[in-house]
Amino acid sequence: MPLLRIVICPNCSLSVRGALVFFSSACALSLGIGAVFALFGLWPVLPAAGLEMILLGWALHESLARRHTTQTLTITDADVSVESRDRSSSRQVVFQRHWAQVKLSCPASRLHPSRLTIESRGRRCEVGGFLTEEERRGLALRLRRLIGRMNESPPLAVGR
Amino acid sequence: MDQPYESTAHADHEHKPHGWRRWVFATNHKDIGTMYLIFAGVMFFLGGAAAMAIRAQLFKSGMELFDPGVYNSLVTMHALLMIFGAVMPAWVGLANWMIPMQIGAPDMALPRLNNLSFWILPFAGTLLVSSFFVPGGAPAGGWTMYPPLMEQFGASFPMVVFAIHLLGISSILGAINIVVTIMNLRAPGMSLLRMPLFVWAWLITAYLLIAVMPVLAGAVTMLLTDHFFGTSFFNAAGGGSPVMFMHIFWFFGHPEVYILILPAFGVISEIIPTFSRKPLFGYEAMVYATASIAFLSFIVWGHHMFTVGMPVAAQLFFMLSTMLIAVPTGVKVFNWTATMWRGSLSFEPPMLFAVAFLFLFTIGGFSGLMLALVPADYQYHGTYFVVAHFHYVLVPGAVFAIIGAIYYWLPKWSGRMYDMRLAKWHFWLSVISVNVLFFPQHFLGLAGMPRRIADYAPQFTDWNMVSSIGGFVFGASQLLFPYIIWRCVRAGKPAEARPWDGARGLEWELPSPAPYHSWQTPPSEAMLAHGAEH
Repeated sequence: MPLLRIVICPNCSLSVRGALVFFSSACALSLGIGAVFALFGLWPVLPAAGLEMILLGWALHESLARRHTTQTLTITDADVSVESRDRSSSRQVVFQRHWAQVKLSCPASRLHPSRLTIESRGRRCEVGGFLTEEERRGLALRLRRLIGRMNESPPLAVGR
Repeated sequence: MDQPYESTAHADHEHKPHGWRRWVFATNHKDIGTMYLIFAGVMFFLGGAAAMAIRAQLFKSGMELFDPGVYNSLVTMHALLMIFGAVMPAWVGLANWMIPMQIGAPDMALPRLNNLSFWILPFAGTLLVSSFFVPGGAPAGGWTMYPPLMEQFGASFPMVVFAIHLLGISSILGAINIVVTIMNLRAPGMSLLRMPLFVWAWLITAYLLIAVMPVLAGAVTMLLTDHFFGTSFFNAAGGGSPVMFMHIFWFFGHPEVYILILPAFGVISEIIPTFSRKPLFGYEAMVYATASIAFLSFIVWGHHMFTVGMPVAAQLFFMLSTMLIAVPTGVKVFNWTATMWRGSLSFEPPMLFAVAFLFLFTIGGFSGLMLALVPADYQYHGTYFVVAHFHYVLVPGAVFAIIGAIYYWLPKWSGRMYDMRLAKWHFWLSVISVNVLFFPQHFLGLAGMPRRIADYAPQFTDWNMVSSIGGFVFGASQLLFPYIIWRCVRAGKPAEARPWDGARGLEWELPSPAPYHSWQTPPSEAMLAHGAEH
């Protein structure tokens, strides 16, 4: 059975190791300063530094969570499935390929991003929300070629 | 009826709201950057009004415009408003505007946190300013907030402490967002040593902020607990030490000075190559010099308090470590000068402010070296020489760099050019008056005039009059700045994507005005390579 799989994910310039090194150095500096002041009896610096490091750790963690976000589009002769994964969850939406259509909604202003959806029978699923505009437009073109319009099921070999 | 929607959530910041919601719920880096800059401008003029009142009081000996308590409140609030309300938010605003554009990111890493960090500011600023209107008036203990003096001001004392807490929280949130954005959202191919110097300067500044803001938070919290909860961190009667507050304050305070000036180094490193039409001389040396200055800022705090009676060994250490800062700073000044050497120079307003920065900041640096010398500092300490020194660093240093940065990037932000002739008037009035304002204060300090006094001996009158006249002209000439910006935004001629022909860097690859979302397409390798020709 012909099958095509497209995996999309956002860009991250920081590795987990890099984040750990950065976070450790920030903790060592900030908590080290707090600890020295605590030794001189000025302990309230230490909890302030601790709270700040918790916040920095959370911010790095949230930003790194982008790494776990992927969308896998699987197209077969019969179905189009979109599997969206993030750090904690995974969900899959399956459309009948024959009735599915790809829509790229134009933004209200040329400065706003577009939204790419796959729709069928009153259901729709957004794909590539984290992509850049040109990447999203490129993906839309490719999906249109692969999935076709409603009532169409072009051979998958054409779209490859 | 809405269609069932099976979707990954689409980030709200990707949709442009209208009306007041655009600003209150703003998550776009450009909108938030604009709000930061407007807030900083308002605080700059409020702090400037306090400065005008100070110079009016000091116009001649025996002036009695304000009683000494109110005068000291004006001095204190002028400093707090300018440092925490004007210069720091202005830098964060510029970072918000420029960093995503310069590193090829669509926005800041944590847009909602960005919104929060801005919206804390108006409340903190209001709390700070409203301390003028409570019984007893605003605190008059100076921005250093030394106990026990600081604790002697009634209701305004906790207000100012809470305002400092809020301003500090805002700074920390902003710094964390900037660090995470620079670390995680750089475009593919934008390695650390390809980043523009402004981004580098901000990365190091944000690291400094993260390191020292808890120290300030701890210090003012201890002031509060000493006053209201009977602790004795700084209370000598209970076994504490007021000198420890000076140590802890200046351990924060000296890096804070670099927090105010390092982004200026970044801006100057952007402007000078553009108007010299040459790559920056010694890019890597500039990065390492910035990092060295940041490191040294942690080990020099004692030079603010040589006169408290510290051991000779400590005095020597702080003197030598302070003098060491001249080395990386000298590298920077040399590199900026070498960048201009045999360049095809032109002197548009951003370059004029950058060149003035180079000369006048260096004067501030030299007077700083004089103050680093322990025997000399014993003479200069607490005099107007110190006032002249730090104003040369912060006004023609940090403030000129902010003004230069706005003149540099305003065409990119607004899509329009400003009136060059008026901007040059703004420059010449500013640069002449700022020297008339602050240079005579060196003479006053060397002649022995103490700082933080509401009146002075008659022999200091002449130079004080000159200084005040310079102050009034400087203050009045700054009114040109918002007018120039307003006229530019309302009716300026359309600007090209690259209004300065020597400009390099990713931000100039975007159209003018920059799109609501920068870099919806990652920049190409060719753009990155062009931008990285430092």
